[in-house]
Amino acid sequence: MPVIEYKCPYCGSGMSFDAATGTLSCPGCGNQEHIDQLPDPMKQQVFTEGEVKEYHCGSCGAVIMTDAETSATSCSYCGSAVVLADRLTGELAPAMVIPFSISKEEAIKAFRKWCRNGLLTPRGFMNANRIKSLTGMYVPFWLYELHNRVEVHGHATKVRTYTQGDYEYTETQHYEIYRKMRLNYTKLPLDASAKMDDELMDKLEPFPYEQLKEFKTPYLAGYLAEKYSYNDQELLPRAKEKVRSYIDAAISSAVAGYTTVNYTNKQIDTTMKKADYVLLPVWMVHYDYNKTVYTFAMNGQTGKVVGRPPLSKAKIAAWFAGISGVSFLSLKLIAWMMGGGFW
Amino acid sequence: MMLAVFLMMPLRTTAAAAEAKPLIFDDAGLLSAQEYEELSALAREYGAERETDFIIITTDNPDNVDIEILIEDFYDAYAPGYDRPHGNAVILGLDMRNRDVELQGYYKAEEYLDRNRLDKIRRKITGDLSDGEYKKAFEAYIISAHEYMGYEPGFNPDNPLFNIWVQLGGAVLIGGLAVGLMTYRAGGRVTVNRRTYEDASTSGIIDQEDRYIRTTTTRREIPKNDGGSSGGGVTSGGHSHSSSRGKF
Repeated sequence: MPVIEYKCPYCGSGMSFDAATGTLSCPGCGNQEHIDQLPDPMKQQVFTEGEVKEYHCGSCGAVIMTDAETSATSCSYCGSAVVLADRLTGELAPAMVIPFSISKEEAIKAFRKWCRNGLLTPRGFMNANRIKSLTGMYVPFWLYELHNRVEVHGHATKVRTYTQGDYEYTETQHYEIYRKMRLNYTKLPLDASAKMDDELMDKLEPFPYEQLKEFKTPYLAGYLAEKYSYNDQELLPRAKEKVRSYIDAAISSAVAGYTTVNYTNKQIDTTMKKADYVLLPVWMVHYDYNKTVYTFAMNGQTGKVVGRPPLSKAKIAAWFAGISGVSFLSLKLIAWMMGGGFW
Repeated sequence: MMLAVFLMMPLRTTAAAAEAKPLIFDDAGLLSAQEYEELSALAREYGAERETDFIIITTDNPDNVDIEILIEDFYDAYAPGYDRPHGNAVILGLDMRNRDVELQGYYKAEEYLDRNRLDKIRRKITGDLSDGEYKKAFEAYIISAHEYMGYEPGFNPDNPLFNIWVQLGGAVLIGGLAVGLMTYRAGGRVTVNRRTYEDASTSGIIDQEDRYIRTTTTRREIPKNDGGSSGGGVTSGGHSHSSSRGKF
């Protein structure tokens, strides 16, 4: 039976991961198990992929209803945390995981605080009292190590103007420039879940990599987890696209000091050294406002919230009027101080 | 002798402006009676606001006197001034014989219409003067002198910041940009940059070359000033003034 459950050895209750202490803890008797010292049950089990079509809860025996991508969830009948082991083994075994450090209560608090700070969000939204669901989810990511060899040729100019006699001279110095660079990027994260909005996940970065831990299934207990929908090769084009802007910025900084630079030839040779499959912690918040559901994501380690909130037209107008008005008065004041007369 | 020239000049105007002192002394006869009336009314209205006499004198200059001396002697002899004799006045003098134009500012006008501002006014009207559009030129002179005297001395009156439309446009632009940025950032922003994932120990420039090829130089003639001169002076009666002079 490829379903892993964590039963407290003392009282038999279902245990789950506790973000505050970083341990597997028992809600019944308060027993805490250090995950580092637990043997990973997956290491002892061998599964054949596709062997099982149906999962049964080990506590109550009910059929566990999941999406095809889900690798950890809780039983919808008895609430026990279950990990679907065959979706986390073989090729699907994550190398590392960053566990949650923000608990559900802290996540709600942080989200409320974020809502209150919204300068353009409507008043009703700022109460943050319509949180429809808050789900802790381990989102599959690939961490790429990409080595880039960059060669650029270009034409650059330095322009200097000076006056001599009755003439203004514009002197343009032309240069042929060449740069050969090595640009290595490590642990470049790309979300591998088809369900997750790429833009949203990109904004969640950076994740604190010092919190990366060797993957062990107990970390998933009590949370949802997904398996990747795209493998490292399928996501490589997106990874290259993502580093492209970093490379362009690095090239620009390497040819500083010119007035204009035109690149005649840019060669970027990217090789993928490795891609690690990791699970990163994300709180997904679904929020009901004005009959629309808004989706937000919160970094499970840093608490950074991303997602497009509703915007209040009245507040936008008020800010616009306020800032424009103050600017106008400031400009008037500057003009007046410069001797321009106030009106 | 100079005195005689200017004592004759007001004769033409006394009848027309019996109720107020004349401000335009059109000895060269450049204006029709109607134009004369309109300009006088304009000069009187605007001059009152700035407490300064806006004066125009034109002459065929039969005695061929330098325009600067001519205006200075006029000021000494006729003693114009809004507040008192020999008071605040700005004078536009046209010498039709030598085609010289000179502007002089006295007292308040000397302070508010310094050489730079007088230069600006002179440049504005020289084109119309050359074209014989005297009424238009005189009107522009009165309006500009009035406008420039509304700015504290020592500042460029044509500073775009003083323009109400520039101020309004700038304010709306700042407001729009600020609110646009707030809207854009409401959804969270990217806080990683090119250095976040860069492995600094192995990344860097391996090889580079900056080869100088050539220098090209273009030159542009700086537009010369129109040969006018500006500065100031003191009349023989001891009244100091600012001035700007040129040809038309």
